[in-house]
Amino acid sequence: MSFRTPSTIGLTLLVGLSLVSLSFSGCNSSNSESDGGSVSGSNLTGTIKINGSSTVLPISNAIAEKFREEYPDVTVSVDGAGTGNGFKEFQAKATDISDASRPIKSGELEKCQENEVEFVELPVAYDGLTIVINPKNDWATTLTIDQLKKIFVGDDAAKMWSDVDPSWPEKEINIYAPGTGSGTYDYFHEVVVGKSETDLRDDMSLNEDDNVLVNGVADNEFSIGFFGVAYYNESKDKLTAVEIVNPKDGLAYLPTSENIASGAYAPFSRPLFIYVSLTSMARAEVATFVDYYMENVSELCEKVGYVRLPTEIIEQGRANLENEATGTHYITPEGASRSGALADVFKAENLN
Amino acid sequence: MLSERVIVASLAVSALTTVLITIGIVFMLITQSAGFFRSEEVTLSGFLTDTEWTALQSKDLSRARFGIWPLLSGTLRVTVIAMVIALPLGLVTAIYLSEFASSRIRNWLKPTLEIIAGIPTVVLGYFAILVISPSLQWLSGGAFSTFNAASAGIAVGILCLPMVCSLSEDAMRAVPRSLREGAYGLGCTPFETAVKVVVPAALSGIISAFLLAFSRAIGETMVVALAAGTLPTLTADPSRQAQTMTGFIVEMIKSENEYGTVQYFSLYGVAISLFCITFAMTLLGQIIRRRFQESYQ
Amino acid sequence: MSGTPEMESSRPKALVSQDPDYLARSAIKRKKLSKYFYVLCVAIALLSVAILAVLLASIWMHGQSRLSGDLLRNAHSELKIEESGMWPAILGSLFVCGVCALFALPLGVGTAVFLEEFQPTNRLLRAIHGFVQLNISNLAGVPSIVYGLLGLTVFVYMFNVFGQIKVNESNGWEIVGAEHLYQVPTLNPGQVVFVPQTDPTVRSMTADEPFTAVDGDGTEIEVSIWEPGTPKPSDRDVRQNTVRKGAVGSLITRKSWYYFRLPFDKSFLAGGFTLALVILPIIIIASQEALRGVSPSLREASQGLGATTWQTVRNVSLPAAIPGIMTGAILAMGRAIGEAAPILVVLGATVAKTTGPQHLMDNAVTMPILIYNWAGRQQDAFQELSAAAIIVLLVVLLILNATAIFIRQKVQQSQS
Repeated sequence: MSFRTPSTIGLTLLVGLSLVSLSFSGCNSSNSESDGGSVSGSNLTGTIKINGSSTVLPISNAIAEKFREEYPDVTVSVDGAGTGNGFKEFQAKATDISDASRPIKSGELEKCQENEVEFVELPVAYDGLTIVINPKNDWATTLTIDQLKKIFVGDDAAKMWSDVDPSWPEKEINIYAPGTGSGTYDYFHEVVVGKSETDLRDDMSLNEDDNVLVNGVADNEFSIGFFGVAYYNESKDKLTAVEIVNPKDGLAYLPTSENIASGAYAPFSRPLFIYVSLTSMARAEVATFVDYYMENVSELCEKVGYVRLPTEIIEQGRANLENEATGTHYITPEGASRSGALADVFKAENLN
Repeated sequence: MLSERVIVASLAVSALTTVLITIGIVFMLITQSAGFFRSEEVTLSGFLTDTEWTALQSKDLSRARFGIWPLLSGTLRVTVIAMVIALPLGLVTAIYLSEFASSRIRNWLKPTLEIIAGIPTVVLGYFAILVISPSLQWLSGGAFSTFNAASAGIAVGILCLPMVCSLSEDAMRAVPRSLREGAYGLGCTPFETAVKVVVPAALSGIISAFLLAFSRAIGETMVVALAAGTLPTLTADPSRQAQTMTGFIVEMIKSENEYGTVQYFSLYGVAISLFCITFAMTLLGQIIRRRFQESYQ
Repeated sequence: MSGTPEMESSRPKALVSQDPDYLARSAIKRKKLSKYFYVLCVAIALLSVAILAVLLASIWMHGQSRLSGDLLRNAHSELKIEESGMWPAILGSLFVCGVCALFALPLGVGTAVFLEEFQPTNRLLRAIHGFVQLNISNLAGVPSIVYGLLGLTVFVYMFNVFGQIKVNESNGWEIVGAEHLYQVPTLNPGQVVFVPQTDPTVRSMTADEPFTAVDGDGTEIEVSIWEPGTPKPSDRDVRQNTVRKGAVGSLITRKSWYYFRLPFDKSFLAGGFTLALVILPIIIIASQEALRGVSPSLREASQGLGATTWQTVRNVSLPAAIPGIMTGAILAMGRAIGEAAPILVVLGATVAKTTGPQHLMDNAVTMPILIYNWAGRQQDAFQELSAAAIIVLLVVLLILNATAIFIRQKVQQSQS
């Protein structure tokens, strides 16, 4: 071996540097690509931060993807840490827009007011919370809210299918559901349990990965699960949606687009929201993005498996945006929460 | 010689940085897990004795149960399965490599093992859900859940195999030729030489390899996050779901649980337990290796 | 602990029975056993080859249909799943690992040199030396996810000493590379002009009278005001330089590639530093082995000629150990590229990023995270893309490993 005397530490540095310079040159090339694309496009720039519900995430991602084509210099970062965490960051002024699969809660509203975060509440799409079973399951194809209560609620919940209905098989129920921080869990909890303190049972498999939820139910005859209709629409061949008996007319409905839009798929059809900070709305890039959002959401939400809202509600939302009508429709000035069909609640006189 | 002193000092500083990292880890784990252990709903005895872990399942803190055992049992199930695979296979392969294999075969087998050792764990996790789990379900006629401890354990075993093999082989190669020649001279067969002379002589190295593999398996994250499932279960049944300690940390970080709650901080409680276990394992491995190292001078 | 007691236990049998028949039978049995054991050895050794073959084959079969130019060129897409790609992830991995190498290599090699070449001279130093050595072995055993948690506290939030990053309020402590501008919409939809910020406390401006602005390239333009109610200019170029009276300019930050601020937040820099912590013990241990492999006589010769310890290290030990260090470093980089858990903790699991990092504080998607995300999707297309991305990742790793093996063999040849 010959001993030249390179400054070896220098050599090591050189290796590292060349690695980095390599990566930066790669970065530059991608930069120039995007510049090339923006010659005819907009020169609007800036950064928009979105966080919140993982159910709304696909919609926001789809909009951001389209938006990027027209406004390539604007960076839109979309995260899906959950509705609760989304509001938490929103209150802490860490985000411009908060995605939510349930309306804001009074506690979250108070925090917003404390921190002087004003916002515009905008419904963007309908979701049908879908209860799914294995295709081999031929007994539980129609469920009532009471039966769901027996399956999902409390520590004394049914361990076996036969505990719900004696004519059903004596097999253990496996449950797959999204995590407790998700708006989906909250919504299911509110519908099935109501306002009481009782928790859902604590031996469910909770996961945020749709693959885990879908395959968990698809591979076991005795499984049941719930999640947004978009997941179900992607895996119709592997899963069966349960018909839910509408407590009002006593008829069972499937979560089809028509049933969700008409409200027949009650009580599990729900609106999805975005909450936009008023301070951020003053920024041109945010204003442009939200405008773009409301204009394109009806078309794009269907592409990712959700149901479009009636035009009047979208128009109402855009009007609120225009007039900077801040506040939520879901909490009365006294702090009580309102519930009901979107069309009944989302009215100017309910705004608080 | 001022510049030389500066250089030596900077080298010493870089060495001390490693100590700083350990201090950082311990400090971070203790301060963050304080948010968990200080909570009135959590007691240390409950943490160590309770048999249910519902940090992800319970929204209501007063009803949440924080007993480490289900997570520990998940970790142990996966680890034991991994060890059942990695230890014998790794050891036998090491014996083969150090005692029997011709140099031509070595030149093929060693790189193969190195490639396995270099496979990212997320790839092995994908392999577990793509191949291992369906095969297990098919072999057992559907008795295995989609996500189960066994498939994750097998994948972790594959991961640990090259490690066990190369460390044990190093230990066996360190056994001097004269011992083997003595055994052959007494009429031992190659099998007897390998098993009755070389392996006992290299035992300290082999045991420390086992311990290192064990702590690697305990700390393995991506494979279990993908393949082991997300329900903490206290059982010995490998066909069911298992949430391991690392799996729980990933799930909690990915989950939509709110930051700052006791449930969220519980992940640091799990992390500190994990750190203690792996720390004890590596320490034990080091001690065994140093204390019982044979020196054939 | 040596082999002798074991051999003693086998001796009595031979002494008890000197019956030649028995001995012959026993010898045949023992030879057979040995033969069986050999076969078992070969079978098990082949098993690991078989496992590797099955793994590669299954992933290849699953993913080969998705290996295309799209995969290498495009970014992740929710709307056009079929055309999703991993280019930003490849860039992201390169960046993160570049930072990781830059940080871990000097630190690791320095530590190894210190431990191997500067032997302690007194008891206290020896104790420290031993402690550092033990500490490194323990660091090597710490699960990577714990390093992720450390990185989250230390690099991402920096214990919140530099404040939290808030939209419309604070970007943290911006040290270099930030240019603050007001962005004022012009009469052309989607077009804006920029006005440099003069007072750092004012976060917006209102256009009431004509002002001077800069366009995207930095050339100055005179901007005139259009009063609503008066006729709107019709020419596109004029409208480009005209804003509505009362138009509000909001603050944006234009970031150069060297934009640097504290805390790091979820940036690729934080990811790289965290990975450096993970591979630091590996690099140290490999470098120590390499330095230990350098023959002591070389060092003694150098010192005998009057060289100081550092001169010996620089001119003799390190050059001799460089191939070994390189091999270890490359293998460690392979580990870093494939590592997912700490990155998942530090950078999060989101993958919707269309470019590589644009500045030091930009976040990044890495290949393992993309694979993990795609593998967790239910759509078959994503599952296949995941396998295809794995193939790409494995090819990158294979190239790295091949380089390491090549270096090693080159050295072995030159040394023999």
